Amino acid sequence: MNFGPYVRRAREERLASGGAFSLRSLSGRLGIEHTYLSKIEREELPPPSEEVIVKLAAELGEDPDVLLALGGKVSRDLLEIIKTHPKAFALLLRELRGQPDTTIDRLARRVRDGKW
Amino acid sequence: MALELIENALVFSFPDVHPEAKVSIQFVRTLRIPDDESSYSLPPGLGTFPVRHVDDFSERVPMRWKEHGGVMLPMYQSEAMWLRFEPHAVAGHGGDPYPFAIKIATGKRSAVTGDEWSNDLRQGDYCIVPKQPWLDGYVIDKENVRQFVAATLGMGFTAEEQITGKAEVGGIQVEVMPMKREVFERRFPKREVKTSGILRSAMGMKHSLSSGPSYATMDSAIFGSAIGAPAPDMGLAAGGRMKQTVYADPYDFEDWDRSHHGRCFVHLANSLAWRAITQQEAPPTPVTAAEYTRHGFPWFEYYDDGRALEGTKTLQGLKSVMQLGFQKGFSILPENERPEFKSDQIIVLKHKSKDEVREGRWA
Repeated sequence: MNFGPYVRRAREERLASGGAFSLRSLSGRLGIEHTYLSKIEREELPPPSEEVIVKLAAELGEDPDVLLALGGKVSRDLLEIIKTHPKAFALLLRELRGQPDTTIDRLARRVRDGKW
Repeated sequence: MALELIENALVFSFPDVHPEAKVSIQFVRTLRIPDDESSYSLPPGLGTFPVRHVDDFSERVPMRWKEHGGVMLPMYQSEAMWLRFEPHAVAGHGGDPYPFAIKIATGKRSAVTGDEWSNDLRQGDYCIVPKQPWLDGYVIDKENVRQFVAATLGMGFTAEEQITGKAEVGGIQVEVMPMKREVFERRFPKREVKTSGILRSAMGMKHSLSSGPSYATMDSAIFGSAIGAPAPDMGLAAGGRMKQTVYADPYDFEDWDRSHHGRCFVHLANSLAWRAITQQEAPPTPVTAAEYTRHGFPWFEYYDDGRALEGTKTLQGLKSVMQLGFQKGFSILPENERPEFKSDQIIVLKHKSKDEVREGRWA
């Protein structure tokens, strides 16, 4: 699913649950015009800046990395990490392409130490 | 400190000490050398044991394993293992690997001294990496170890049971401490030269040799009734004698950053318990030492400069699996055939110092 429709569905679900998630209410909290948000949802305009996407994720209770990825952006902190070892991370990401979530989870997870 | 399991290796990293302070430890499958009091060369690496998170199988592992956390791997009764230590090279320091002090224990008894486990370093109870690339067994003197050989906990064969008289812990315990950053930067100043690692494997070994039904048969005979029951723990026992020096710490004891350390409990599951827990087969056992040697594959010897650890009376007093079997009136070894070596079958590896000049072939 693309960024605009994903945001629209998430917003309307929360609105239906009785929250203050009308276009006007939400855009007001984000500090943007409601017409701008409307056009983003309808894909008449591209996704907003990283800063607005992160705020939007917080308002909607969504994962910011997911919304950023849908918006074709990579968060600044991830970019900083990639810049430290660009070749290694590019290789890693390509290696992980197509792997199931369980494999990726396992790679990222640390070994737990317990009581000996 | 972070500890990850990556491609069957434990990877300890200490980004809060140095961004490239990282070392991986692998558990390597190998031949079991004959247990006959001769001292043998180093056997090859035949791939790594599969290692899994205990937490991935928390519904099927014993409660004690869950308490310990860590990882698990499968071993057959009397199968052998060695540990490979690989510190990561540090860019800008000529490829010098970051140094670590590594403690290895079995059944919470040090494989270097036989002393009881402690979370801190004690003088002489650890290996130094990269100086020590491998550890194959219990240190018994300056030039020899007794090979790590798997035995079921409770049968009286493991080093833990011989030393403590109890069968309570099993498994392998690992702890890693990095060198202090300021010491690393002083001892290994920035430079351009690169160094390379040392390979110890049976390159080109045919898969048809990787099978040993005798081990599996032995496990079935011993654990035939254990499927579905809590997994019997394995521990490590002292096998045959092998030529390996474990090097003493060439640095100062205070060079190690004891405020940063990582540890891991490695549980050993016998092959049938492994199948019950993971629903996967343990890898086929390696060939026998005699069969491997008949096919002309290499053995190894490794030399480096430096003071060697002498071993302690505790470890020197360990009885081998064969000796214990003779005392008990039954053996857990499926075979003990002595290999017949050809003169060119032993490859001598020597660690080169950074500035050493290599002499080639002249004629």
